[in-house]
Amino acid sequence: MDVSFKAKSLVVSLILTLAIFGWYLVAVFSSFPLDQEPPSFVSLLVLVVWFAVFESLIHGLLAIKHPSQREDERDKLIERLAQSYAYWFLCGCLFFVMGNIVMASWLGLSSSHLVLNLVGTPNGIFHLLLLCFVSAEVVNFVTQLYHHRVSL
Amino acid sequence: MSQQDLADRVGVTRQTIIAIEKDKYSPSLEVAFKISEVFEVDLACVFSYS
Repeated sequence: MDVSFKAKSLVVSLILTLAIFGWYLVAVFSSFPLDQEPPSFVSLLVLVVWFAVFESLIHGLLAIKHPSQREDERDKLIERLAQSYAYWFLCGCLFFVMGNIVMASWLGLSSSHLVLNLVGTPNGIFHLLLLCFVSAEVVNFVTQLYHHRVSL
Repeated sequence: MSQQDLADRVGVTRQTIIAIEKDKYSPSLEVAFKISEVFEVDLACVFSYS
């Protein structure tokens, strides 16, 4: 099966995103309820650096194997389409978080509901928003992969 | 002429040529004209609209 450089690149990015940020978020949310202290930006910064290092290394190796690959109009069209879907997904997630913040603070609702408890702390809101961004990136990669393999 | 040769001459990827051949992707006018130029035929001989 002939897999293009772009498809391989997307698979690598998807796996790295799920492995690094997915692992981090699972580790954070498994410690529910989150403590009241602000999140550790240093650990997240280290994760971002590792993500960038692995991405650069693996994409460099892929580029060596595919020396003449270029991004053409179809790749750009698929990328724009996927970014559009990811944008709407992110908007939906952000409205969901905002709605829960409103319910938790304005209406004074408190319950054992997972999201309502999470948005009660800055740590929780921070990691919920991070989950939204990571999920939107996953939607972006999956949509691009789908269109590269199946349609367009 | 192979798909890769056509892709190189037109300036797209081989996967794009495959998608065009399978009628899964409609190229831009620029790419369509380049393809017809490669085969030295009119555009209507290569592409049709239905």
